[in-house]
Amino acid sequence: MAPIQLRRKSTKWGLLPIMAIVAVVMLYPFWYIVDNAFRSQGQFDRQAGHSLSGWRQLFASLPVGGQLLNSTVVCVAAIAIILIVSTTAGFAFAKLRYRGSGMIFLLVVSALMVPLQSILFPEFVNLANVHLTSSYAGAVLVYAALGTPFATFLMATYYRGISDELIEAAVMDGLGYERTFLQIAIPLSLPAIATITVLQFIQIWDDLLVGLFFLPTSQRTITAGLATLSTGRTTSVPALMAGSLISAIPAIVVYLIFQRHLVKGLTLGMGK
Amino acid sequence: MARIELDAVTKQFPDGTTAVRSLDLAVGDGELLVLVGPSGCGKTTALRMIAGLEEVSSGTISIDGETVNDVEPRHRDIAMVFQSYALYPHLSVYDNMAFSLKYRGGVAKAEIKRRVADAARILELEPYLQRKPRQLSGGQRQRVAMGRAIVRQPRAFLMDEPLSNLDAKLRVQMRAEIAQLQRSLGTTTIYVTHDQTEAMTLGTRVAVISAGQAQQIAAPQELYRRPANLFVAGFIGSPPMNLIDARLERSGVAPGGAGGRLGGDGPLVVFGQHRLPVSPEVMRGHPALEQYLGADIVLGLRPEHLNDAALVPAGSSWPVLELPIRLREELGSEVHIHAAIGSAAHVGDGGADDLRSLATIVAKMDPRTKIAEGETAVIAVDAGEIQFFDRATGASIRR
Repeated sequence: MAPIQLRRKSTKWGLLPIMAIVAVVMLYPFWYIVDNAFRSQGQFDRQAGHSLSGWRQLFASLPVGGQLLNSTVVCVAAIAIILIVSTTAGFAFAKLRYRGSGMIFLLVVSALMVPLQSILFPEFVNLANVHLTSSYAGAVLVYAALGTPFATFLMATYYRGISDELIEAAVMDGLGYERTFLQIAIPLSLPAIATITVLQFIQIWDDLLVGLFFLPTSQRTITAGLATLSTGRTTSVPALMAGSLISAIPAIVVYLIFQRHLVKGLTLGMGK
Repeated sequence: MARIELDAVTKQFPDGTTAVRSLDLAVGDGELLVLVGPSGCGKTTALRMIAGLEEVSSGTISIDGETVNDVEPRHRDIAMVFQSYALYPHLSVYDNMAFSLKYRGGVAKAEIKRRVADAARILELEPYLQRKPRQLSGGQRQRVAMGRAIVRQPRAFLMDEPLSNLDAKLRVQMRAEIAQLQRSLGTTTIYVTHDQTEAMTLGTRVAVISAGQAQQIAAPQELYRRPANLFVAGFIGSPPMNLIDARLERSGVAPGGAGGRLGGDGPLVVFGQHRLPVSPEVMRGHPALEQYLGADIVLGLRPEHLNDAALVPAGSSWPVLELPIRLREELGSEVHIHAAIGSAAHVGDGGADDLRSLATIVAKMDPRTKIAEGETAVIAVDAGEIQFFDRATGASIRR
């Protein structure tokens, strides 16, 4: 026993410096944002002194509150659609027996391999044809379409891990499949739902391309708004850093709220 | 309570596998019928069809005379206890037990509370009502699963190997508790198990299933003493019945040699170098045996009907076999003696011939026996208890 314990201990201590280096590499950009958000352009150039000049410039140039609201609306609506579709479809793929289920699942999963860039223009044309490019709806639908395949895959995998007998017990207890889904499957799949929520929130909140393409100026998200700060030679780095900091905070908060479930959800299907 | 009937019920899966073939069953009001058989024999599929969790390919299932083939599980008013217990992990013991009553509706909150409290008292679950299933032991979880079924006061219970996840000691205890509970509630119960001891101890009647068909449906003692065929004979009993390929011959030659000590003119069962005389009483008890004179049969000997000749009371007329002893197993209250019979062992249709050379018969003896491994022992046979089977059909030869 002792040699194994010793080996475990030495592995632990050996990993520590590596983890520390990784942590520094990951955290340095965040520190860079925080440090430079509180400077004027001159202080940034000299890398000396701090002020709120960058923040004043940010709020003067961008409707930050409105754009944060836009991001929230788009995120919440898209995630709601993704969750509704992925939980119901995942349950059907995992627990209901019907002809062609395997083939449909394969089709859904194959959509995971389609990159956003390749469908951007066709999607824009499609949505423009139905006049959905001048409101939140266009972006929400695109985000939902992009997020649903992965979410459905994750939910189906999660539901497969729930014993069939549990579902059958609920059916025998008097619930139909619909209420079994709502009363049993949904409460049991909260870790997977949390995982999808966090991952999709971060992805949608941070996305630039769809926000720029599918949303009108008045409904731009914070990420798309920040991109407009950078206008050739007149980029104000402190204002950009301040905006980046504001835009990062909601994603961090969502992550911190759900992180316990996220870890649980990401290890789904890895064993008993 | 309910009467459940299966009439020529067949289940064929889309891949062509037939799990249940034309199964006929009738479970009386308040009866506990056990379906027993080896893994994959179709017993669980039959239970699931009664529950409504599997569609019936052909035949009819009726509850109290009403055909329920197309009735949804929730409308059959049947409760099921699953092998894995299938407790809702996010709900407390109380909520698990009250779940069905709550969601079915029509039962007042106070009544739900009363029923759960009653069931918890019967099952000694009162201290655990607020716990989650993960905080319970296996036996307690099993009780909660039972409680969940009881509070519904359904027409019938279906139990799918509910004890198979428990350790041996707890299984014996829970088995007794289930039997007592079923008797006190008087609810019609169909219980599925692969464990023949469980089947024999629990069932009012036992249906032995093999290859999707009922081989015999009878009371436990009837199954044990008069198995309908070779499958039942080999499946029921522990250790199982010894089955030996033999030939029934008219006596013309006085028995002797390596075989029996007894003389007489009655028929003889001959296998290998051994001969066992069949007494006139046995022939009278099995009139159909006359037709098998000169034919191949399978001889069935229960282990407890083989004894150390030295321990057989003086004056008894048990014929004897002289057999080499391969193994002696001490079980405390009894001793199992494994004696080689070589090529005469019945290995069934799927058995390979090379298995025969390894074959032994098992005798369950009094621990005072001095029979030891490696010696050739004289084993007495209680000839009145010999069973005979048709070699071709496997059916018991009785009347």
